[in-house]
Amino acid sequence: MSPANAALVRVTQVPGVRGSLLISATDGLVVAERLMDGIDGRAVAALAASLVQRLSRAAIGAGMRIPTFVHLRGNEGSVLAAPGQNDLVLVALTGLDANLGLARLEMLDAVGRLN
Amino acid sequence: MSDDIRGLTARLAEEPSSLAFLELGEALRRRGQLEAAYKVARGGLSRYPDLADAHDLLAHILGDQGDLAGAFDAWVEALRVDPMRTSALKGIGFLYFRAGDVAAAREHLQRAADIDPDDAAITQALARMSEAGRARASASPAGQGIPVVAPQEAAAEASGDNTDHGLLLVDGNGLRLSGHLRSGSLGDVGDRVAAELAGVSKEASRTTRLLGLGTWQTIAVESPEANLFLLAPTPDTVLLTIRETSLPMARLGLIAERAARDARAWLGHQE
Amino acid sequence: MRALEPWVVEPLQTFLAESSARLILLMTTSGQVVAQHGFARSFEVMTAAALGSAIVASTEELARLMGAPRFGAVVHGGSRLSCMLAAFGTPRGRWIGLVVFGPETSIGLVQLFFDRMVEELVGAAPRQAAAPPIRAENFERELNASLKELFGR
Repeated sequence: MSPANAALVRVTQVPGVRGSLLISATDGLVVAERLMDGIDGRAVAALAASLVQRLSRAAIGAGMRIPTFVHLRGNEGSVLAAPGQNDLVLVALTGLDANLGLARLEMLDAVGRLN
Repeated sequence: MSDDIRGLTARLAEEPSSLAFLELGEALRRRGQLEAAYKVARGGLSRYPDLADAHDLLAHILGDQGDLAGAFDAWVEALRVDPMRTSALKGIGFLYFRAGDVAAAREHLQRAADIDPDDAAITQALARMSEAGRARASASPAGQGIPVVAPQEAAAEASGDNTDHGLLLVDGNGLRLSGHLRSGSLGDVGDRVAAELAGVSKEASRTTRLLGLGTWQTIAVESPEANLFLLAPTPDTVLLTIRETSLPMARLGLIAERAARDARAWLGHQE
Repeated sequence: MRALEPWVVEPLQTFLAESSARLILLMTTSGQVVAQHGFARSFEVMTAAALGSAIVASTEELARLMGAPRFGAVVHGGSRLSCMLAAFGTPRGRWIGLVVFGPETSIGLVQLFFDRMVEELVGAAPRQAAAPPIRAENFERELNASLKELFGR
């Protein structure tokens, strides 16, 4: 199993995680994905990358480095994103019942291993 | 109907612009006629929107009705009109204590004590806060040393009354409405960040909608230097709160929520 | 924005708003321009339409030679500007979209909303027979006719 797939497996094993992807931040394209049926990986990649890019610009504008973790919370679920090196971002889609704390830890660890 | 209420009602009917509504509202509240008390207080506030007593009365009524958020907002209003109003400081302190935020509760009560050192109720409440604070600290050693950010400071920042940095209210066009952001090397970076935040609300909204996640609520961003928290006090504005990383994200979220509430009130006053 | 047919306008405007693309040109494979946004002069449209349809024709022929299915899109990435060309089927025949975008957006977003635009166009297109293929000798005449209508000159 490739390191990318291993990372996706770990994240998707967290309760409440509907899927995870490795995406390219600049292009907003899918590099690897592990998703439940019905989730449009291309849409997740494009939209999550765009949001992370925008927030990164805001952070840099505030004199900080790029974010290490982003959590967009909707009233029916969340998008989690952990930017890594080489323009890659590990993204997860979760339901309301997800263990967000565990998902965050797994993502940060997984993206650290990818680096 | 008791005589006092009947008398006050008659007085108010005779002279609608009188301040009798304050007494009448309070009398109704004490008798548990909360709906009637609420109507009287609202009616009075429509005539006297800048009367701290009226906001205070409304806060008490809302608190009795169980609408704690509404009570909080009403006391914030009372403080806006009269920053020295100890009853509002006590009320907000009580709400924070009830919500488990002992530090914020203590801070409000301390302000009330500074204004009225002879109020024994405040002194007693502060003593209780200190006990609760000690108990909490001993139960959670990790909680020690976390910087306490007073929510009323955040509220003040959102309304542009405080020079502390770390809070920014931005409109949909990327223009700063209020607040400041400082970076050690770059100085005030508020306008720059505001410009970058243009469209964040729209983008977040689009993302949650297209991914089937409903309506966007908040965005939490961790960076090596600080944690950022974004939410939309109104559909056309974004509020950014930045604090150091030692402050847990969930707590930053609470601070941001309170600041958003204050920002909403402030925006309402600008209209 | 200029469009020959009104039902094209709304999907196109949605695409531009969502993708943040700078320019778009919609044309038939025969070179007839259906709609455009961002081009200032008819000469630019004429050149882009001719080159775009030629590139799509070339890549489709390349795919045929290789025994591969049609390529979904052709993307030229640049540091300042990038370009995407994609052909798609509609009830009005096969069309080509040429999109130019900058670093303020991404190819992921452009492709995502382009595909949504195609779905909307297919849904909105009045059902009538597709125009017959245009012969090469008529290509320039068709192109000029559509440009005249679009730019009013």
